[in-house]
Amino acid sequence: MPPSPFRDLTNLGGRAFDRVGELTDRMLDGNLRIGVTGLRRSGKTVFTTALIDNLLHADRLPFLDVVATGRFIAARMEPQPDQAVPRFDYETQIARLTAPDPAWPNNTKVTSQARVAIRYMPGSLLKRRLRGVTRLNLDIIDYPGEWLLDLPLLDRTYAEWSRETLALSRRAPRDALAAEWLAYLSNRDPSGPAEEAVARRAAELYTNYLLACRASDQLLSLIQPGRFVEPGELIGAPVLAFCPLPEPAARAGRHTLWSMMEERFEAYKTNVVRRFFAEHFARLDRQIVLVDVLGALNAGPAALADMQTSLSATLESFHHGRSSWLDRLLGGRIDRVLFAATKADHIPSNQHGNLRRLLDGLVAERRNAIRFEGAAVETMALAALKCTETVMAEHQGRQLSCVRGIPLGRTEPTVLYPGEIPDDHRLLDRDGIRKLNFLDFRPPTLAGRHGRGLPNIRLDQALEFLVGDFLS
Amino acid sequence: MTGRTRDPDYVAPDYIQPMELDPSGNVVVVPDERSTGPHPSGEPAGEVETPDPVPAPRRWAVRLLVGSAAVLVALAVGYDTVDLVRRAFDTSMVLGIGAAALAAGTVVGAFGVVAGELRSLRRLRQIDGLRQDAEHLRAAGTHGEAERYAGAVASLYRDRSDLAPQLTSLKDHLSDAHDDREVVRMVDLQLLQDIDRRAYQLVLRASRDTAIATALSPAALLDVAIVLWRNLKLVREVASLYGARPGYVGGLKLLRRMLGNIAIAGVAESGNHLVAEALGSTLAASLSARVGQGVINGLLTARVGLTAMHLCRPLAYDETNRPSLKRIRRELLSVPKQVL
Ligand SMILES: Nc1nc2c(ncn2[C@@H]2O[C@H](COP(=O)(O)OP(=O)(O)OP(=O)(O)O)[C@@H](O)[C@H]2O)c(=O)[nH]1
Ligand SMILES: [Mg+2]
Repeated sequence: MPPSPFRDLTNLGGRAFDRVGELTDRMLDGNLRIGVTGLRRSGKTVFTTALIDNLLHADRLPFLDVVATGRFIAARMEPQPDQAVPRFDYETQIARLTAPDPAWPNNTKVTSQARVAIRYMPGSLLKRRLRGVTRLNLDIIDYPGEWLLDLPLLDRTYAEWSRETLALSRRAPRDALAAEWLAYLSNRDPSGPAEEAVARRAAELYTNYLLACRASDQLLSLIQPGRFVEPGELIGAPVLAFCPLPEPAARAGRHTLWSMMEERFEAYKTNVVRRFFAEHFARLDRQIVLVDVLGALNAGPAALADMQTSLSATLESFHHGRSSWLDRLLGGRIDRVLFAATKADHIPSNQHGNLRRLLDGLVAERRNAIRFEGAAVETMALAALKCTETVMAEHQGRQLSCVRGIPLGRTEPTVLYPGEIPDDHRLLDRDGIRKLNFLDFRPPTLAGRHGRGLPNIRLDQALEFLVGDFLS
Repeated sequence: MTGRTRDPDYVAPDYIQPMELDPSGNVVVVPDERSTGPHPSGEPAGEVETPDPVPAPRRWAVRLLVGSAAVLVALAVGYDTVDLVRRAFDTSMVLGIGAAALAAGTVVGAFGVVAGELRSLRRLRQIDGLRQDAEHLRAAGTHGEAERYAGAVASLYRDRSDLAPQLTSLKDHLSDAHDDREVVRMVDLQLLQDIDRRAYQLVLRASRDTAIATALSPAALLDVAIVLWRNLKLVREVASLYGARPGYVGGLKLLRRMLGNIAIAGVAESGNHLVAEALGSTLAASLSARVGQGVINGLLTARVGLTAMHLCRPLAYDETNRPSLKRIRRELLSVPKQVL
């Protein structure tokens, strides 16, 4: 089902029209698109909610310069620019997080967008004379993390992707999960006739394999294509009826199973992935990459390696670099990237330094590549919602830094010594294992009390890096 | 989530198994009690040599001279007084009692004054110490050591009702998650920058006062007196604002240190340059020498005041928030217009 050229053209026209509107918008007010990037369960939804909440209350952001110098006036949510995208349901999320019996957000199923408008006094005397009170619109989108891993597909051919994916599925720990699908494939001939039933069955088994990967406690990140596990509006669409196949020996002719799947793969790339990218990621100004380092550490070196590969592959798709004022107007390049280790409240605060350095090492290669392209890069350990406090506890005559909070599913607080995380991921391999144990904690009871916004760790510094220069 | 054991035989030398501890046991909430002991897992604060802005050479000979002379004088005065009192008693009982009471009053008063001066000097030293602590904390980047520093700075301003909102907001914003550098920065941001703003206003006002007073004063000797008096007053005002509360000796000491340190970072600009700037502008050049002198005295006062800010602040300025002469200079250059 090749995409009709006319549909593409009308799309293009519509998009160009949108762009003109957005351009004028950008010239009148400051508009800033922040790309919250993160694999599934990395904390995107919580981060977005906490960010909005803290901007609305502005009472827990001491290191955000505009607040510290008293130039911040107020912020509020506004209708987002893209009418076709659902609104980020901040109210529901915050109500759930701050309820007397608080709950974390569910897995995100669809894309949604939020716009926060900030009114502030410019810092420089000149700007203040020229413009008086200024405003900045922050646009943030939230989406299922699974979809992010579709981006690396864009520069793969079907053959390449099939080869990689099959090789991966034959290695531990995935081989056990993939057994049924692989067995089914071994009885089919890719260069045989294209039968819809076979394609559907193969895709179904492949989807089951992916779902099993997602459910496994090994925290496997590399799950492609993302829509198979989180289809969004595409449930049952034929574009999802494909899977990797072993490459046929001879070049497969038309109307073979291989060519049908290849066609669908390409259609998936064009109609699903490229569109998702163009609509949401192509025009970012700033990017924050949320990384659940602690979750991966908990699951072991395999999960860590898996996460590292996934992240690195994903980030290649973005355009980084120093942006001129013209780029800024058109929204072409990302000129600041923040790598953030999320959920830092799972460890006592004296280990935050190690967590940051660990993340630094994990993303070193990407970070350098981005820096080379001219964008500014920073790493940080943060928690969008601080659920624990650091306490000292005595154990066998030694003072241990522990965290105290209420674990998920319990009602009484506990004091947890999670172990010491190393400051370099290579230490994890060498020592064989560092025994670590992080618990998931409940959101703090009545977190938003006193109208101060959600308690957080370094959200202000993250914001200062991401948007500080626009608020100066 | 549970920690898996991949290599059950491996145990690091001082390894402690991740575990949950009894929440009711001896658990200490960190922010309040951290200062009671060294942090177990924080690295020791790195030894960082911060140069003392004022090298104090050991001038033992001078001290010996001054000390001995002072004791001698005290002894002499003491003998005379005792003699006087005895003679007063010889004359009449009433006169004797009166003289004794006066002598006692003098001694007690002197002790009081000395004690007050000593206390104020100690405060100055304490502030110096705090400033050095902060440098260590900033350089070392440790965790958990800075609470004591923040506590000490906060207690310096404990009785100041004018700073109550700043102290509250400092307390509100500090959390157990901040590392030492962040704590120091927070003290700077939430508490000291407000004081800085007010101190800057004081300096601004004082330098304008001296400029105008010098310009209007009829005699050169009067100038010197005005400048000295106003500078001393400014130094004491600034120091009190930062919580140093210097006595007379403290104020003089500060002033002396200041004259030695007037070239301290940031405030330093060559005197020639200043004069040139003050007089070289078309406006100032056409004015009488008196007014030009006033502007120069004003600038001198400004530099004294800014140096006082540097020396009395429990945290050294960094590159970004250092107070600058620029605004004061602009203000001063408008003085001639006001005077004429
Ligand atoms: N303690 C703590 N846990 C967090 C924090 N942020 C996220 N979490 C945990 O991480 C889980 C996932 O967070 P989400 O924000 O839903 O993750 P997401 O990236 O939106 O996930 P998808 O929607 O599946 O892509 C939450 O349910 C929490 O258990 C945090 O700041 N502190
Ligand atoms: Mg989500």
